[in-house]
Amino acid sequence: MKYIQYALPAIAVALAVAMVVSCGRQSTTATKELEVACFKGGYGIDFFEQAAREYEQQHPGVKIKVWGNPRVWEQLRPRFIAGNPPDLTYPGWGMDHWALVYEGQVIPLDEYLDSPPYGKTEGKWRDTFEPALLELCQYQGKTYMLPYFFSMLGWWYNKDMFEKNGWKPPRTWSELLSLCEKIKAKGIAPITYQGIYPAYAVSGFLIPWVISAGGIEAFDNAQNLVPGAWKSPAFLKAAQMMDELRRRGYFQEGANGMDHTGAQMEFISGRAAMIPCGTWLHSEMRNVLPPNFRMGFFLPPVLDDGKGDPTAVGIGIEPWMVPTKGKNRDLAIDFYKYMTSLEKAKQFVEQKGTLMSIRGSDQANFPEHLKEPVEVFRRAKTVWSVEYRQWYPKLGKAVEDATAALLAGNITPEQFVERLEAAAEAARQDKNLPKHTYTRGKAR
Amino acid sequence: MSRRSRGIFVAGFLLPATVLYALFVVVPVVQAFAFSLYRWRGISANRTFVGLENFRQLFADPIVWLALQHNLLLFVGTSVVILALSLALAHAIGHDSGTARFLRAVYLFPQVISLVVVAVLWMFILNPSFGILNGALKAVGLESWAIAWLGEKRTALASVGVAHVWHALGFYIMLFSAALRTIPHEVMEAATLDGATGLVRLRYVTLPLLWAVLRIALVYMAIGTMNIFALVFLMTQGGPDRATEVMLTYLYEQAFKHSDFGYATALAIVNFMVVMALSGAILALLRHNPQEGRA
Repeated sequence: MKYIQYALPAIAVALAVAMVVSCGRQSTTATKELEVACFKGGYGIDFFEQAAREYEQQHPGVKIKVWGNPRVWEQLRPRFIAGNPPDLTYPGWGMDHWALVYEGQVIPLDEYLDSPPYGKTEGKWRDTFEPALLELCQYQGKTYMLPYFFSMLGWWYNKDMFEKNGWKPPRTWSELLSLCEKIKAKGIAPITYQGIYPAYAVSGFLIPWVISAGGIEAFDNAQNLVPGAWKSPAFLKAAQMMDELRRRGYFQEGANGMDHTGAQMEFISGRAAMIPCGTWLHSEMRNVLPPNFRMGFFLPPVLDDGKGDPTAVGIGIEPWMVPTKGKNRDLAIDFYKYMTSLEKAKQFVEQKGTLMSIRGSDQANFPEHLKEPVEVFRRAKTVWSVEYRQWYPKLGKAVEDATAALLAGNITPEQFVERLEAAAEAARQDKNLPKHTYTRGKAR
Repeated sequence: MSRRSRGIFVAGFLLPATVLYALFVVVPVVQAFAFSLYRWRGISANRTFVGLENFRQLFADPIVWLALQHNLLLFVGTSVVILALSLALAHAIGHDSGTARFLRAVYLFPQVISLVVVAVLWMFILNPSFGILNGALKAVGLESWAIAWLGEKRTALASVGVAHVWHALGFYIMLFSAALRTIPHEVMEAATLDGATGLVRLRYVTLPLLWAVLRIALVYMAIGTMNIFALVFLMTQGGPDRATEVMLTYLYEQAFKHSDFGYATALAIVNFMVVMALSGAILALLRHNPQEGRA
């Protein structure tokens, strides 16, 4: 018994000494460790892991730990609160990105963006990005986030069904109406949509038609919370168009009760001819796609005499950021520079089948279903993005609720725009809500 | 063992559990009360003390009242259905027949299935395009009844309620069949000999003898429906147009979508108070068994 009394503390002391010694040894070697936490979505994290191994080979003494999962934001939140975040992160759509910016949890990156790209001694890293995408990452003139891949929003059509019936994807509102009538006559639902998640209808119907009716300024003014902008004639017109499609029975019956997979299944099973969705649709549904299913992408049909740019296209990004309290800022930046080099960007396009925010990456070999979106993006003279939803989440929710009500026929287009304007007014009045300004529109 | 050393002995065994409980249950609850007095984005250690501002906003927020109303509707609606069904089924499977044995084997299945699976299952059943419910309605010529159950404001909440009943029923059947077994056979026999059969026996003999279990079951139902989250979140996201918004989905929205953790915590506290009040009211209202003390 006596021996144990002395043995236990002795062992504890020995262990403690051993730990101190081993820690000390680790810090004497020049190993730098980088922790990268990523959202594991449809594109996985294997590409980032592979890039880390390559980077380690090029930089002896650097160790990069890439980890991630589909709910990574839940693990990141306590790490940010505790002041112990990873060095580099792609927190995913579940994270409130702007809250991180307002709380000073991520650093402005302009100094780095003005430095040369990976492995170069001149030029600016900034210039390697698509400028329209980089703009989405700015607040009060500073860049806090960096884009990686991006998605485009539009409509998809069933290519075989269209070819068999001699239909063409409609470019204008009148073409859409006459096509819907023909599709309906065949016993097929012309358009389906992801009713339980009204965000799809907002970016697939509402915003494109606001832009078509009132020009990009109409949407910029709305995002900038200009008084009256959310009930402008452009919004009313867009709401009337949605209401008209509903009244004519061109939306699939029951679509208001379908979630995204449900509605998308209707589309790929041929019960509906068209669906609004982003460029992720193919990879999201790849496990259930019939082997020879061909889908085509086109922009939402515009008003025949619309004021807006008919090439305008909606995009979305899922940004990366560098936490303020990360331990290896410069290394994190250099690794991200490597990941955004043209070579890696093209590899990402080819391996993952999505578009990349790096200029020149559209010269890669795109999979079949992305060829049309790439063309659309090349032709686009205007690029828009639903930013108010991230800036003012309550406004975003109110717009979605009202959209669900409009599409279910519970409210009129007039009531719809009144509800939107009321929500915008609430956002304007909210003193605790930091305000953003869109830098491209005429509002400035 | 002396009285004192016995006390130490008992305390020694209770201490670890008490410490763990205090650390992981009591402290977080107290902390939650504190958080509700702050404006906090929940993403850094920065917090601003705002006193009762969150509660002031909360009572003026029409969606809180709407959500509360939905919770209470769910409680009233589902508890009536669950009580009726579980009592009837508990009674039915008490007999010794083939069907009863089969039912005894399966009635707990929905209860042990994960809530996520329950939600997905019911979304399939209610699917407007290929769901079996609409399929069945169309097959019998009720095509106009085949609607988007989860997409219509007037049916969404009830649809979620049905899924909840289906999931919860097994537990209450178990509760009531266990209670029914405790009623001495002689009592039932005597009642039958006295001419009390069917509903009369249920009303004057069975229910009074189940009174204690009934009270507990209702409290459980109140807690279950006030804290309902996963089913609603998965099936409707609180939509369409907030038609199925409940306290906890609204709390989730405030915390994780609007980064307003102070407000979300205030909501949690109000919900906690409502559950306490509701449970207290049920226990108080049903304290006296109406049949007790009768001649």
